[in-house]
Amino acid sequence: MASRLWASRAASYLRLSVCHRGFASVVKDLKYADTHEWVKVDGTSATIGITDHAQDHLGDVVYVELPEVGASVTQGNGFGAVESVKATSDVNSPVSGKVAEVNEVLNSSPGLVNASPYENGWVIKVEMSNMGELDSLMDSDKYSKFCEEEDAAH
Amino acid sequence: MRGQRSLEVLKMGIMNYSEAIKLQEKLISDRKLGKITDTLLSLQHPPTYTLGKRRTYHNLLVPESELKSMGAELHYTERGGDITFHGPHQAILYPIINLRDIGLGPRKYVENLELLMIEFASLYGVQAHAGKKGETGVWVGDRKIGAIGVKISSGFTSHGLAVNIDPDLNYFKHIVPCGIVDKGVTSLKRETNMVLPSEEVIHEQLISCFARVFGYINLVYKDTYQ
Repeated sequence: MASRLWASRAASYLRLSVCHRGFASVVKDLKYADTHEWVKVDGTSATIGITDHAQDHLGDVVYVELPEVGASVTQGNGFGAVESVKATSDVNSPVSGKVAEVNEVLNSSPGLVNASPYENGWVIKVEMSNMGELDSLMDSDKYSKFCEEEDAAH
Repeated sequence: MRGQRSLEVLKMGIMNYSEAIKLQEKLISDRKLGKITDTLLSLQHPPTYTLGKRRTYHNLLVPESELKSMGAELHYTERGGDITFHGPHQAILYPIINLRDIGLGPRKYVENLELLMIEFASLYGVQAHAGKKGETGVWVGDRKIGAIGVKISSGFTSHGLAVNIDPDLNYFKHIVPCGIVDKGVTSLKRETNMVLPSEEVIHEQLISCFARVFGYINLVYKDTYQ
């Protein structure tokens, strides 16, 4: 009980919200796709990664296939892949635009996706072509609920 | 949401690797469009070496030209996993299923694939177990009996698993199987004390294990696919 209270306080301080199941973390102020990628918006630049929920469902990531800088990405379409537990899974872009930067560190440290999904494990940065697309993404509360419902349904 | 989930089972016999890839592409396309239900391919390949997405070519221990003279092919794939060998008397399952429908992420899906192979081995009194972290697959002691390599695209699966029933294990000498240096490979034939039934029966049992572990109630068998 006491540790749960501490966890809530710590979560509050770090701007995380801890799901009731005490499981995957969700960060406020990010936007989320229903394919479990997150977006951090800074002007017209979008930093993209996969969520804590996603990395947990993947298992230990051993390889990240990154796109080329300058490549085009489209909302809802795949831009790369990750490999974990002998499974390759595609990663979708929550927004459309052009790839401005890729996280090269993932080439040597793919496990950052698991260890730090919202910070050091970011995957690409995109120069957005259509800011309106952000409206179709979920906020942190909606995404938390989405995860709960998805996990409860099975 | 278990319900009366249907699984279409395609028994393809010995199928060339390229043909199997083409068939899976067609099935995934049809599955994504909702034209077909979840589908399971049951087959074998002629002697074939395959590499996964990471192209771990360094785990092929002989020149590619030598493979040809052995009568084996080499294929580059988009599946996860390292280098492996497929050949006659190795039972392969390629599930083309929608993981989102059944609420499985990649890790749980692969765990289920391991589980079904373990259950299958137990039918023959063989105590197999899942690999340690980072060693996905199914082992008897420190000998590998079942391999996994899958591709998941928008939640739809392709590629799958391979269980060594009684393949020519010498073919594995030309690779570092699955990239793991100090462990060997084995087969059901080597590990069991029981007499093996016909391959038809064996494949049927493997399919049953798949259906049971994944909760498919209704199986529909097909010999060909248009």
